[in-house]
Amino acid sequence: MDFTFSEEEEALRDEVQAFIKDNFTEEVLADLTTGKRGRGFGPKAAPIFRKIAERGWNAIVWPKAYGGQGGSRITQFLVEEEFYRAAQVVIGGGGTGTPAVLASGTEAQKQHYVPAAIRREIIFCQGYSEPHCGTDLAGVRCRATRTGEGDDIHYVVNGQKIYTTNAQVATHIFLLVRTDPESRRHAGLSILLVPMDTPGITVRPLLTVQNEPGGPAGTTYGEERTNEVFFDNVKVPASCLLGEEGDGWAVSQRGLNLDRVGAWRYLISVKRDEDIVNWLKSGDERAAPLKDDAAVRDKVAELWIEGQVCRLMTMRSMTIEQRGQAFNYEGAAEKVWAPEHGVRTTEAIGQMLGPHAQLLNGSPDNVQDGLYAHNLLSAFQSTVNHGSVQVMRDQIARKGLGLPKPRK
Amino acid sequence: MDVLPDEQETLIQETAREFFAAESTPALVRAAEKDPSRYSAALWKKIADLGWLGISLPEDCGGQGLPLTYAGLLLEEAGRAIAPVPLHGTLVAALVLARHGSAAQRALLRQVVQGELILSFAVQGLQGAWSPAAEGLTGRAEGEYVVLNGSRTFVDGFRESGHCLVLYQAEGDGVAAALVDTTSAGMRGTDYVTTAKDSQARVDFDNVRVPKSALVGEPARGAAIARDLCDYAAALMTSQLAGATRRDMEFAVEYAGQREAFGQPIGAFQAIQHLCADMLIAVDGAELLVHEALWRLDQGLPASIEVSQAKAFAGDKCIFVARSAQQIHGGIGFMMEFDLQLWYRRIVAWSLRCGSVREHRQQVAAALLEQPGKVRLGMPLVPA
Repeated sequence: MDFTFSEEEEALRDEVQAFIKDNFTEEVLADLTTGKRGRGFGPKAAPIFRKIAERGWNAIVWPKAYGGQGGSRITQFLVEEEFYRAAQVVIGGGGTGTPAVLASGTEAQKQHYVPAAIRREIIFCQGYSEPHCGTDLAGVRCRATRTGEGDDIHYVVNGQKIYTTNAQVATHIFLLVRTDPESRRHAGLSILLVPMDTPGITVRPLLTVQNEPGGPAGTTYGEERTNEVFFDNVKVPASCLLGEEGDGWAVSQRGLNLDRVGAWRYLISVKRDEDIVNWLKSGDERAAPLKDDAAVRDKVAELWIEGQVCRLMTMRSMTIEQRGQAFNYEGAAEKVWAPEHGVRTTEAIGQMLGPHAQLLNGSPDNVQDGLYAHNLLSAFQSTVNHGSVQVMRDQIARKGLGLPKPRK
Repeated sequence: MDVLPDEQETLIQETAREFFAAESTPALVRAAEKDPSRYSAALWKKIADLGWLGISLPEDCGGQGLPLTYAGLLLEEAGRAIAPVPLHGTLVAALVLARHGSAAQRALLRQVVQGELILSFAVQGLQGAWSPAAEGLTGRAEGEYVVLNGSRTFVDGFRESGHCLVLYQAEGDGVAAALVDTTSAGMRGTDYVTTAKDSQARVDFDNVRVPKSALVGEPARGAAIARDLCDYAAALMTSQLAGATRRDMEFAVEYAGQREAFGQPIGAFQAIQHLCADMLIAVDGAELLVHEALWRLDQGLPASIEVSQAKAFAGDKCIFVARSAQQIHGGIGFMMEFDLQLWYRRIVAWSLRCGSVREHRQQVAAALLEQPGKVRLGMPLVPA
């Protein structure tokens, strides 16, 4: 066992922190929060992300052959953590598309997608959920029919995806489709990597409870970020197939494990613990009596300790990855614990602050620009997205503990 | 950064698991509960023969010199088998003596490693508060002696121990520690009757004369020694508790896979599955926290807050797991002839020892709120 980062990693942390100090100015941070394109794509922020890519910091763990650094997952985590803390941005490593291409792609696909993804010229969105199925992805109905001859073998895609985050900025969709119309459940699914500018694709933004303008970074956001995506006779070359036809379930699972763990997943939850502690000792006149309240102190310590478990579960996932071992239930456990912790801590902070916790940014008398009110609108997203905590518990019970499936 | 046991740690873990599974059977545990000594001398001898009593003691004390994480893994496995041996008290006192004791006291550790000398430690006063402040027992210097008066409570294994590492308040000198011969005149142990049916006792001191050669460390080091004693004790108790709790969870999972109701194993129902998933997460969390605390202690890094984090979490969650295991077993879990209750009764007792959830959270809250500057999770906190 070893619970520290190496000297080299700590030196890199210093370097990254210095970079952040130099580059993430107030102007850039404002661009990240309010920029129409969101998540680091605004005009002021975009050049910074090019600099990050030039340093290879968003591709530390990816192989050198495809433009990465061939470095350790732990190092990647450390760098991601610094960027997430400074600006609530996810700089790399996460997301489903590129890790899945690395895991299941042909040599040509790896060469085509990975270096361009590192340069942020290719950005994937994830086409999984459909109106009638989200967590139960085996129910996917979006159809892809193989047709054509010779050089013109292609798929024709028809159907609909929903809750497609960042479809409005993505260059490609990582699309889970049913290629065998006779198949049921997990069989007969395939993954297609479809350029978003292909004729027949329509993106329609969805307004959610999280579209609350003025939220501090990492909470709610002003513009729509999730979408419906419609496919109307979309012609996709066969070269866009990732992995074998009919093997889409396995291909998608390889990507998902990497998606459910990582720096941002844990930080989005534990940052709330830090925020409330730092506010309690900030000298704010509303904080002073709470800081000495025995019930508040007990609760804050409880939440802090839960936050430590979030961190350690993340480190456990990193350890498994780093050792090249396979996940059993550990990613699912992290995906239950950290999001639910985020919800518990957000709601507990609400009760500590009392009525002020409902005041959004722009309201008189709010606390820290309405941070906690905006959190209350956004915290429960992560217990739902990327696999609900209920389905995660099914996986823990069945895979981790070997409990049986229900008889029909 | 690699937070899971490495190959050598896993080997010790597996070896200890096999040993305790074979040697510390529920029958042995039941027999020890009825034995006046409350422990199995035969099992103790076998543990000593394997060299495990010195697992994390320095080689110049007859130990194996392995990191403290190994002692933690050993305690987890002993806890897993709820082994009726005074392992916790002996290891805690021995670790403190190895670090702070005189040459003569360190020489005693060879007897400890051989299994010939059992040790205990005494921290708490009549209020039961878990604190290195050593309230409730005072020491007055008289020539070449210190005279102790007062009480210590929840002293585990006092009856069988030859020496007891005692924290007391030295007149004018603050906290101090002494290694007291348990046969000293004026020292009287009274057995508690605990849910675990183990061998905790209250120890009353009535003008107990302790030679100055029995004092541990320089007077100025008293607070540091008390801190180490409390940290080792709470951390290793958490290890023992987490080990027992993991086994208790496994009983529930095994039973849920076999017991049928409504035409299928109850473990196929999501209500049971999700409860079991939460039990696994709870045990994993306790283990991860205590591994980090022990690793930091071993590295000589500040670790009191990490210890408190681990014990507070385990104290809260392990009872949840044990209670849930009882729930999953239904009626059969209540039966004294069914083994599950052996674990439940110990998990309850151990979760309350070496500091309650409330006390350890107070330590964490003080470190969070009383120290200047902003906090960052993952960066160490300094105790207030």
